[in-house]
Amino acid sequence: MKISSVLMRSSLWGAGVLLALCGSTNAATSQATDNQATLMGKASIVFSGTVSQLAATSFADVPKSAQTIVVRVDAILKKPAAVSLKRGDSVTVDAKDASAFQEGTRATFYTDGWIFGSGVAVKELGHVLGNTNEPVPPPGAGKNRPGQAPGQLSDQELKERMNESDFVVVGRVTDVHKWNAPKAKSGAPLHVTEHDPDWHEAVVEIQSVLKGGQVKGNKVVVRYPNQNDVAWAHSPRFTKNQRGIFCLNRDKTTGAPLTKLGSKEVSVYTCLGHGDALPLSEEARVRALLKNQ
Amino acid sequence: MKAVASKLRFPGFALFAALFALLLSPLLAPAFKKTAGFLLARGQAPAPSSIKVVDLIPASLSGESNQDSEPFLAIQKDNPQVMVASAFTPNPFSMTGNAPVYVSQDGGVSWALNAITPVPRMTCDITHAMATGESHPRGDLHAGTLDCSSGVMLDESESVDVASSATMNVQSMRGNVDQPFVRALGVSSGDRIYVGVNDFNQSNGQTATIDVSVDGGATYKSVRIERRKTAGQDGPSVRPAVANDGTVYAAFFGWRKFDGKTATSDVVVVRDDAAATGASPFQALTDPSDKLPGRVVVKNASIPWSNAPALGQERIGSTLSIAVDPNKSSIVYVGWADKGSKGDIYTLHVRNSTDRGVTWSKADLPGTTIHNATNVALAIANNGVVGFLYQQLSGGRWVTHLVQSHDGFTTSQDTVLATVPADQPAEQFLPYLGDYDYLLSAGNEFRGVFCANNTPNFADFPHGVTFQRAADFGARTLNDGAGNLVPISIDPFYFSVPVIP
Repeated sequence: MKISSVLMRSSLWGAGVLLALCGSTNAATSQATDNQATLMGKASIVFSGTVSQLAATSFADVPKSAQTIVVRVDAILKKPAAVSLKRGDSVTVDAKDASAFQEGTRATFYTDGWIFGSGVAVKELGHVLGNTNEPVPPPGAGKNRPGQAPGQLSDQELKERMNESDFVVVGRVTDVHKWNAPKAKSGAPLHVTEHDPDWHEAVVEIQSVLKGGQVKGNKVVVRYPNQNDVAWAHSPRFTKNQRGIFCLNRDKTTGAPLTKLGSKEVSVYTCLGHGDALPLSEEARVRALLKNQ
Repeated sequence: MKAVASKLRFPGFALFAALFALLLSPLLAPAFKKTAGFLLARGQAPAPSSIKVVDLIPASLSGESNQDSEPFLAIQKDNPQVMVASAFTPNPFSMTGNAPVYVSQDGGVSWALNAITPVPRMTCDITHAMATGESHPRGDLHAGTLDCSSGVMLDESESVDVASSATMNVQSMRGNVDQPFVRALGVSSGDRIYVGVNDFNQSNGQTATIDVSVDGGATYKSVRIERRKTAGQDGPSVRPAVANDGTVYAAFFGWRKFDGKTATSDVVVVRDDAAATGASPFQALTDPSDKLPGRVVVKNASIPWSNAPALGQERIGSTLSIAVDPNKSSIVYVGWADKGSKGDIYTLHVRNSTDRGVTWSKADLPGTTIHNATNVALAIANNGVVGFLYQQLSGGRWVTHLVQSHDGFTTSQDTVLATVPADQPAEQFLPYLGDYDYLLSAGNEFRGVFCANNTPNFADFPHGVTFQRAADFGARTLNDGAGNLVPISIDPFYFSVPVIP
């Protein structure tokens, strides 16, 4: 792949300038590839295309500015499954620096979504000039598909999620049961809402700890909402003998952060977010992302 | 020919509608249009009047199959071409990016999704209002949003330009509240905002509360409007309504007993005559039985509470609406649902007052006792016509009605906006259609939003429908714009119906 220049803001900008000035040395090419891979991991919509209009938009709902350009899509390299985008469509790109483009400029655009109407408008995260049709793998073991499955965490999102977790463990669920919050004092107010979580507990036998150091004992108690309300619609549910990778946080939600496990009083963890319980098939990706942090 | 699905209860209007339908019959054939690479069904164009029903999902999100339930709508008062709608629609490109709203700048003909709420990925409950334009022609949008990304947190926020990419500015936030419901009134000194919430931070279990801002959301004051002993809390729905003269009403369910399955509840209405700017707001109405603030419209209603599917695939427990005549603040309507008569799961009722809430009709208004129905939404147009939106489970279908009346429902016009299969698609979460839908008036139109099965089938939409997303009405299938089939799901629909004379 011939890279004529790499233009990106942020700390990567210097490397881009160096590349443009010095040509394609092996080291520079490698670094540029890394940069593209990083961008590929961060971006949700990646496509190559040809600039057709400057200071313009491709559909009426997008505010036109000097930074908005219209790009005709030549190839889709990455997009969420829900987004309708194909070769030949015109996309509005809110460019970081519109002066980098002229009508006819060909580039690969690394972007995030912006406005979705009769067409697609995106915000540029970075671009690579030239006609690039091959996706660059992002860091980690994740695979890029043109249509990312609904609900699938991107590498960047999974990394962020793991950063926020106290522990990331590989384990097996040995028990699940309903958990009733301690009874309130007599006369205390009710707290009935449609968003009642219907707390349950899972006992997880830990096979390995990927993040967070030593866990006391080899089992932890994980609280999770079993209610199918919208508030908890994306929280993981647990079943006995389920094996997986679990992102855990110390319980700051239920108001009772300690419980009994056998005769011992132990800390309780929660597993609430979308993607906090992953199948074992994701282990290589998780390990690679943790390694690259 | 089934050109007019309205049930017309007065013959004069029926004759008029039939003549009009005959005149426009050539327009009744489905019209298809190829736009931007998508085969779009551009509506059936049947209506003798200009009834409009639009699926809000944009063409560029034709591949989505989310349960986009619980819709809401705000109309820019100074420029009603600008509207904002919301639903449980996730950010389409990021698990952590802002949750989106739908924006129309052409009076509801087309809608685009813009990710500007201050909540990650997808909101829980969200309602909003746009009182005036002031110097912001595409604002000011005031929203009350539950952020359920970690616990449940209320954000009260504002956008001065709903078409921009700027995240809404959070003006107030707190936890331990439920179901924010926003109304607003624009005045020269700034927007007055009223947010009904069920606030568990209130003492004595008197949780029905209105958050009041008289400075455009810069500051909020929480006003407890429940004054009676409760079962430990009130019901989730707390609904304000604002008239142009600054009269503010609010309705709530005063829960007197609760056994986990049934709430024994009063339907209570409070009123304030000075826009809730005084020291002791919402105390203008008292009940003759105990002299306490809050007129009891109905005492000890038996309201079923089910956080599991109970009415078809929908949950039930708290549907409530109140509307005030914008120009005659003495006229006010309230609607709610309870267990109703034997054999019914959930029954709607509508009653009214013509003396500022002091006395109320003793029984349901004619034709407003609706069996096995939910999502009541009331609105009153400038000419005094009342709109009554609801969704009824009937014959295995969810049927969305808009009933209009100019005489307290002695006569009325019933327009069926949609009649869709109730057993498809399977619920992804609750609420299935929403704990509410919404109705507003704008000039000579009733405008509103409801959710329904999105099968592209003209027979499901008696007055026609426009799908922005890629749809094949011949095959009754959805596709992703590139020809790949997309499963049927729940979508939000916008509608506009002319106000009857």
